[in-house]
Amino acid sequence: MNVSRRQFGKVLLAGSSALAMPSLAFGAAPKVVVVGGGAGGATAARYIAKDSKGAVDVTLIEASKQYYTCFFSNLYLGGFRSYSSIGHTYEGLSSNHGVNVVHEWASSVDSAAKKVNFSSGASVSYDKLVLSPGIDLKYETVNGYSAESQTRMPHAWKSGTQIQVIRDQVLNMPKGGTFVMVAPPNPYRCPPGPYERISMVAHLLKENNPSAKIIILDTKAKFSKQGLFMDGWNRHYAGMIEWIDPDTHGGILNVNHDTMEIETDLDTFKADAACVIPGQKAGAIAMAAGVNDGDWCPIDPSSMASRADSDIYVLGDASVASSMPKSGFSANSQAKVAANHIRGALTGSKVYKPRFANTCWSLIATNDGVKVGANYEAGSEKIDVVDKFISQNGEATDMRQATYEESIGWYEGITTDMFS
Amino acid sequence: MSVCYSMFFKRYICLYVTICSLCVFGTKIGSADDDLLEGADVGYGEYLAGECVACHHSEGVAKGIPSITGWDPEAFASVMRAYRAKEIDHNVMQMIAGRLADDEIASLAVYFETLKEEQ
Repeated sequence: MNVSRRQFGKVLLAGSSALAMPSLAFGAAPKVVVVGGGAGGATAARYIAKDSKGAVDVTLIEASKQYYTCFFSNLYLGGFRSYSSIGHTYEGLSSNHGVNVVHEWASSVDSAAKKVNFSSGASVSYDKLVLSPGIDLKYETVNGYSAESQTRMPHAWKSGTQIQVIRDQVLNMPKGGTFVMVAPPNPYRCPPGPYERISMVAHLLKENNPSAKIIILDTKAKFSKQGLFMDGWNRHYAGMIEWIDPDTHGGILNVNHDTMEIETDLDTFKADAACVIPGQKAGAIAMAAGVNDGDWCPIDPSSMASRADSDIYVLGDASVASSMPKSGFSANSQAKVAANHIRGALTGSKVYKPRFANTCWSLIATNDGVKVGANYEAGSEKIDVVDKFISQNGEATDMRQATYEESIGWYEGITTDMFS
Repeated sequence: MSVCYSMFFKRYICLYVTICSLCVFGTKIGSADDDLLEGADVGYGEYLAGECVACHHSEGVAKGIPSITGWDPEAFASVMRAYRAKEIDHNVMQMIAGRLADDEIASLAVYFETLKEEQ
């Protein structure tokens, strides 16, 4: 009895959806357009295409033909991975699942006409739109920082070659030189990422330039996995790293990429190499679509649909996912919830209870990996934590090595889940 | 490198012994009289598996994280129930299994068995 009631409801839902969806009304396969080919977008495109088996026409719009993951770019910096090993293409999505991959820049969304416009002037129509644009940097949050500063003081906080610049600069620091990081304010992509990056810089310097110093000028009074990183830095890089909180430095007053100086209330720090990570906001297409409220995009936790437009879903860093961190793992998890919901709306397939999970691994030194994670469920207003865990100080070395090896396995697993 | 391989080996031996004891001796940790696969639904298992394949390679590659494709479904369900009961150590797996009901574990077990041909 319950089953047939649910099925009846589903038929009603599918019927009412069809009236609002032009391609359904004409009997063509419904159209899903996904903007952004990272952990959220690639996963959403793959799952909708794979599971609908041709019943949904899926187009993925991603400007880059070769995608380099942000996650594990720090391991490239530390010399644990090659740059090519974090690069991926979209051929699997098109050849294995029939995803139409379009390498264009999506510049605007006409939500009334249900069209995405490209900077080339072309456009594509949709029944359901998935936006997974990641982040844009708010340069204005660091006085003196601009697009021009990126060459000398790279943020390397979006996928791409800036991480290579940081590695080159660290390797070319003078003996006993200083590396300075300006760490970003909350909320930002990959909460433990800046501190894993510091660990990898320290690892490089310990091998090549052991008298060098690292200074972190933080905009936050505390940070993710702080106890684990501090303990690891003491064990592996004693005396090399100085973390300075905002109460101590009094605020970042200015950065100057010509002189490589970072001015604070406390002092002016002269860097031989620097990484300046500004504040962040949702990628531009989310703003252009008008689904943002301020810097980020509120979503319905049961589906990842935008609070502003139920035919637009927002995944990953750009969304307001409450206690879920902005991570590739989170985006991949959210994409599966959205894919299941979208297929249900378009084809009447079964919609299951949403479930979310995240784990963030960080490498502190060779074979010294740590992790933090949680699983989540959809509350009425937001995504709520169900259970969580974090690595502990004092764990045996073989456990830390196993955690690092696990992260390698995870990378293989998630990139297969995104791109194969 | 040899240290790394020997650690891998040790972990897989442990897992192998666990599975053997579950299969050969019929041990059903934490579930003495249950039908381990009651309520199994392969379609639901496929949905739930999305959480697993974020880490476990969907094509059965075992590199740092064990393969979970093509297992005997009862062994799979027993191990997951054991993680849920915190009878096997692993913080991530205890958390993941912790919110799975018996029918959800059963659904995952029958779904991952279907992936064996694709290895």
